[in-house]
Amino acid sequence: MTNTLHRRGTPDSLKNDYVLFFLPAKKVNANGSGSKIQEFMRICLKYGTVNMGDGRQGSVLRDGVDLQKYIADKKDGEMAAAVFTDLDTLQKVIEELIRADLGISINVSGLLQEVQGCCRKAGIERHSVEHSLGIWGAKDRLPEREVLEVNTLCGHGMVSFNLIRKMLEYVKLRRLTAKKAANIMAKCCECGAFNPVRAEQLLEKMVKRES
Amino acid sequence: MKIDKEKCVGCGNCHAVCTMGAICLEEDGKSAVNQDECVECNTCYRVLRNEGYAPWFVRAIRKVLSTFRLGYLAEVDVCPTGALTPPELEWPRNLRAAFSDVSVPHAGTGLAGRGTEEIKTNEVTGRIRRGEAGIVVELGRPGIGATFRDVEKVAMAMARVGPFFEPMNPVTQLMTDPRTGKMKEEILGEKVLSAIIEMKVTKDKIPDAFKALEEAQKEVDTVISVGISSRCLPDGTVPHEEWVRKLGYRLSPNGKTNLGLGRPRFQED
Repeated sequence: MTNTLHRRGTPDSLKNDYVLFFLPAKKVNANGSGSKIQEFMRICLKYGTVNMGDGRQGSVLRDGVDLQKYIADKKDGEMAAAVFTDLDTLQKVIEELIRADLGISINVSGLLQEVQGCCRKAGIERHSVEHSLGIWGAKDRLPEREVLEVNTLCGHGMVSFNLIRKMLEYVKLRRLTAKKAANIMAKCCECGAFNPVRAEQLLEKMVKRES
Repeated sequence: MKIDKEKCVGCGNCHAVCTMGAICLEEDGKSAVNQDECVECNTCYRVLRNEGYAPWFVRAIRKVLSTFRLGYLAEVDVCPTGALTPPELEWPRNLRAAFSDVSVPHAGTGLAGRGTEEIKTNEVTGRIRRGEAGIVVELGRPGIGATFRDVEKVAMAMARVGPFFEPMNPVTQLMTDPRTGKMKEEILGEKVLSAIIEMKVTKDKIPDAFKALEEAQKEVDTVISVGISSRCLPDGTVPHEEWVRKLGYRLSPNGKTNLGLGRPRFQED
């Protein structure tokens, strides 16, 4: 699950993009983690997460998801992701997770200095950090920068380059709003790590630039 | 993925959703999947709602509309007739789903996604310790895909540096010998959305590891996303920042932070 490590974008655009992960260690503390993941999700919901999900049940942005049932169905050993769009809220969520003392690994993907600031304000020091060293290899096969920014919002690559281009066309033709297009793309990302708010902003920016 | 020709009405919605661009319209006006390129991610099947219309009904509506020079455009996130049909997959093709469909857990690690915990549980597993760096080399990402032949080329190049390939990683578990990076012969032609070679090295071996990767990247026709991690010092400093910058590489401003809230804590000697 390096799925949020390689999110692309300028530091300014990344300021609105933080993903929290709840991940039990398979051989250490997975047993009995079911009630803890439910608590994690309730805390994230309380602070207005814009997307949430996991590989088994998919994103909460799929059609017809009953959030309470979704949370109640979480089981031991499962992981979850939740997306937030500002640092102040992230700070509050981290503080509440520390108070909840779930005893399960919590990771944050986002601007590293800002996340470190949140940790320090909450009275903890970060344990481990991972950086991206970018894309290597056959870079000539990559699409245009903006398409790549949207694509990497789902690191598992479930939002295809072609779908992003199609959504951009539909927004330009006013067949879809940017918000609706972003939500369609979010449904592709099973883990719920896709940030639909940032995707909407990126689509609007692309439309504005091309018109 | 398979498309039921009896049901398909050729609306084309699955073409754009396909992560590998492996679906196209054939001369009969129906969609078909290029089985060599399909990575069995199931995105088309999951995302496109089955509207459940009878194919004859959709075709008749279209015919009537075309008489008046009108077109029928389905909503973008539907398959009007439920023509997409996930097949039963056997070895080694089922590896495509394990490495591409995030809802399918890896048999060897029990984890979905790309199947590895990496540093995300480091405070309880002690996977990466002081003086070590974790290196993740993900072939195929973003959005291009990779074959295990590509994975093998890079793994074998990196193996010469003498890293420790993480045993609880699905790619390591497909190696015939982790000392050489050689992969099982029968899987080499399988294509996946991406696969992560995961290793750790002591800090003195980092220059050799990146030198090997610099050379290996020229041998593959896909993209590679590279990441590096380490355990922070007590004051929160990230040791690998200095190790990598000395080599002239630029680190991303964003990344992943393990907050260290897991229990019981792994105690280093």
